[in-house]
Amino acid sequence: MNVNHHPTLEPAFVLNRRPYRETSLLVEAFTAKSGRVGLVAKGARRGKIPLAPVLEPFRPLLLSWRGSGELFTLTVAEPDDSVCSPRIWSVKSGFYVNELLLRLLRRHDPSPDIFEDYRQVLKRIPVPGQEEPALRIFEKRLLAAIGYGLSLDQDAETGRPVEHEKSYRYQPGRGFVEDHGAPCISGDFAITVRGGTLIALGRETLQGSEQLREAKHLMRTILRGYLGEAPLASRMLYR
Amino acid sequence: MTDNTLIEHLVTSLRCLPGVGPKSAQRMVYHLLGRDRDGGRILANTLRAAMDDIGNCRLCRTFTESELCALCVSESRDPSLLCVVETPANVAAINRGTDYNGRFFVLLGHLSPLDGVGPGHLGIDQLKKRLDTGDIREVILATGSTVERQATAHYIAEFVRERGILVSRIALGVPLGGELEFVDSGTLAHALSGRGEYR
Ligand SMILES: [Zn+2]
Repeated sequence: MNVNHHPTLEPAFVLNRRPYRETSLLVEAFTAKSGRVGLVAKGARRGKIPLAPVLEPFRPLLLSWRGSGELFTLTVAEPDDSVCSPRIWSVKSGFYVNELLLRLLRRHDPSPDIFEDYRQVLKRIPVPGQEEPALRIFEKRLLAAIGYGLSLDQDAETGRPVEHEKSYRYQPGRGFVEDHGAPCISGDFAITVRGGTLIALGRETLQGSEQLREAKHLMRTILRGYLGEAPLASRMLYR
Repeated sequence: MTDNTLIEHLVTSLRCLPGVGPKSAQRMVYHLLGRDRDGGRILANTLRAAMDDIGNCRLCRTFTESELCALCVSESRDPSLLCVVETPANVAAINRGTDYNGRFFVLLGHLSPLDGVGPGHLGIDQLKKRLDTGDIREVILATGSTVERQATAHYIAEFVRERGILVSRIALGVPLGGELEFVDSGTLAHALSGRGEYR
């Protein structure tokens, strides 16, 4: 898609930004209709009313831009006061989701569903008890949106429905296969998980510390296969 | 002017200074060469000495040519108050503009998870050691209010509290001489939630 001019304001979030030249910012934004875009905010760090304080991660914004090529020029940025701004005190998880989007979404690839999911996960991260399940649901939906959806209710080998009490082994690119306790092929992706966890993840009803722990481990393993070698910076830092 | 001459080299070198573009760099060079060679020599010598000899204070990490900076050595400052800031420039600003009379700790940056800047870059171990000396009664967080800087404050506050030390944070809000209608909604929310008793 060739976005040469975008005169209307589009709902967006800043995923990351860094200083660019002397007074500008380079902004990685996630927008409702245009997906991820790279924007140069000229003079954002100086001037009478600098834009930099507005261009903050996790804050609902309205943006417009112009230009062509890989980087656009930001023309308008204002806070979207029609949407409640999530208050994220412990921003660890917020940076983590931002990094997932930066690593897994390509620029100029619209994904309106993920935009809505992103909005939801930001809302739920600060709510006590909701952070972990919300992150797992977001990870699952993000994988589906980029074409790596998981089939969580079916045994990939037999086609039979996944059963609560059975154990399943994850096979990259294929899905989940019932684990009969056979010696497992060692490697990064050798992971087994209970059927109940798969079903709950599929229905988005994860609960209890055991299920959440299993689901977290599972999603981390699966995501590692798509994120490649470089570890997630947002995860490494706090260890 | 041809490339690779000393003049050209000097112009390029001056451009490492913030706010100095090719034109102003050239003006500086011609000024020094034409009118103030002595000033230029003093500048060159001082610059070299400063770059070679100025390091970081062993206690607070601010710039100093000694092992300890003047603020850490000073007997008249309250050793039970520790103000955590991002840069040596912040130390100078607080010293100049306020009557704060405690000690400082300089992070020399802020957490920036997506750019790979973590606690290890901010002297956090050093800060923890400082807290463990038992002299400190209150830690004042004076980092800025961007998301990354708030994350930095949050991160520090957690381990300060664990040690049973009081943590406070500088107030965020409406600027002096400011009108409410020009204050953005985020700042306004902070100002309201951090309101104080009217005195
Ligand atoms: Zn010092």
